[in-house]
Amino acid sequence: MKSFDYTITDEAGIHARPAGLLVKEAKKYQSKIVVKMGSKAAEATKLMAIMGMGVKKGDTVTVEAEGGDEDVAVNGMKAFFENNF
Amino acid sequence: MFLILPAIVASGLMMGLVEALVKAVPGFSDSAWYGILDMISNTAFTFLPAIIAVSAARVFGGNIFLGGVIGMLMIHPGLINAWSVAGMAESDIPVWHLIGNIFTIRQVGYQGHVIPVVIAVWLMCIIEKWLHKHVPEMVDLFVTPLLTVMVTAFLTLGIIGPIFSTAEGYVLTFAKWVITVGYGFGAMIMGALYPVTVVAGIHHMYNVIEAGMLSEAGGLNTWMPVASAANFAQCAACLAVGLKAKNAKTKSVAIPSSLSAALGITEPAIFGVNLRFTKPLLCGIAGGAVGALLGSVMHIGATAYGVTGIPGYLTTLDYPLQYTVVLAVSFTIAFALTWVFWKEDEEDVKKAEEKTQDQAGKILEETNADTIYAPLAGNVIALEQIPDDTFASGVLGNGVGIEPAAGEVFAPFDGTIATVSDTKHAIGLIGPEEMEMLIHVGVDTVKMQGEGFEVFVSEGDTVKAGQRLMTFSIDKIKESGYSTTTAVLLNNSDDFGNFKVIKTGPVKVSEPIITI
Repeated sequence: MKSFDYTITDEAGIHARPAGLLVKEAKKYQSKIVVKMGSKAAEATKLMAIMGMGVKKGDTVTVEAEGGDEDVAVNGMKAFFENNF
Repeated sequence: MFLILPAIVASGLMMGLVEALVKAVPGFSDSAWYGILDMISNTAFTFLPAIIAVSAARVFGGNIFLGGVIGMLMIHPGLINAWSVAGMAESDIPVWHLIGNIFTIRQVGYQGHVIPVVIAVWLMCIIEKWLHKHVPEMVDLFVTPLLTVMVTAFLTLGIIGPIFSTAEGYVLTFAKWVITVGYGFGAMIMGALYPVTVVAGIHHMYNVIEAGMLSEAGGLNTWMPVASAANFAQCAACLAVGLKAKNAKTKSVAIPSSLSAALGITEPAIFGVNLRFTKPLLCGIAGGAVGALLGSVMHIGATAYGVTGIPGYLTTLDYPLQYTVVLAVSFTIAFALTWVFWKEDEEDVKKAEEKTQDQAGKILEETNADTIYAPLAGNVIALEQIPDDTFASGVLGNGVGIEPAAGEVFAPFDGTIATVSDTKHAIGLIGPEEMEMLIHVGVDTVKMQGEGFEVFVSEGDTVKAGQRLMTFSIDKIKESGYSTTTAVLLNNSDDFGNFKVIKTGPVKVSEPIITI
């Protein structure tokens, strides 16, 4: 399993539209990708679950990937978070 | 173009009044009063590119002050006024040779141009957004505005300005040709098509043409009689329905709608009445076409745009008689045809009554688990037509857009609330068969920070189809410069092979719109 931490800098946090992009990005990989914040966790391919976490600016999330392409997945997701959040 | 309407209306009406005074009072045009009134009334048109640029920046999501800079650059006093260039020999026009003869800029302003300004600001917004994303935050405050203005300025004066001012010339020539060709035949076609473009929501594009016509030296808006005839005919068709209908509800919608249409606001008449019964719309089209033909033959021109119907008299003071003929003919034909051909359908009356009750947020007693019911009243458009790339591209799932007629959202099925956005503009629901649905009110409305939105449910709540979930202010969204088009998306539509949109166009709350 690979993971990274990321602190949200986008003013609006992970709101509806970028959450959708996140789901699309996560679906590219075979690995199971999970976004965690405190006691909350959500599969990155489930839009409602991701939006339901209510991630805001300044929150730190942990993104974990587990599976055959976990190295690629973690790098891809990291780049995605840096570009969008 | 729509946001700047108050400025255009103020200037246009005032110009009309000043011209009327010139005609009524001998020697008025030499007086001090004329001097100052003329100056005040032409201010908005003289600096049109500046206000267009500000409104365009707001619409395209850029900084409105940077937009203002680009607009003002295009009419900078350091450039020769575009209106005075016409009389100059080409060799007398100064040119900056920035790179020899390869990259040159003629020192001419863009007074009276509309399209080049809109394109320039659109490009500016793209550049600005790109820079915001890619410039490190530490220096973003300095670097982004500087680069945005520099790059846009050179592209505008060097490339966009020259190309699109020429293109705009062709568009205007074409528009004028259309409304005069074949002894007004072209105008007749446009008069007939006008209500159709209102239904499609693309009639605001005419504002660009009208603004362009007005801002030419001594220009008059010859498009206005086409719009006015078409609108007034719809008003007449709607009034005929209102007077003929026996059903109290139809009457109570049609009569006020026709009055507002007489003042130039036709959406309630077209969507609420004429389109619903179809025949009145067609009868109105016939009346509008003949009126537009007459308007073209009599060469009526207006001093503003966005003002039609009765208030249109104030912008057509030179043509009171001709304008009366246009309105009267459009009205009479549309009214008479509707009166003769439209008949109230008893069953329609009953249905209409039932549907009006639903609109109040009546909980549906019986629902199908494979159906999504309209969460808002309004105009359903295809996914691809939602004015936002993310929604339109289907990244968030298949679905539809709804241009809301009222600011209330109701549950589209029996289900649970999965998430409510902190900024109250979006709600996620889980429905039958694990359907995951996002209802996102407006585009970019996250930036409104919840202002104008009120949500009545919270995460985990169980809801019934037709239950009221939230209210929002259509006016506030529009004032903030965002689209009100609401995305209704089935996020996991990939899991439902039979996904089908079964209804587009105007819908009432809780009408079935999608089946899975």
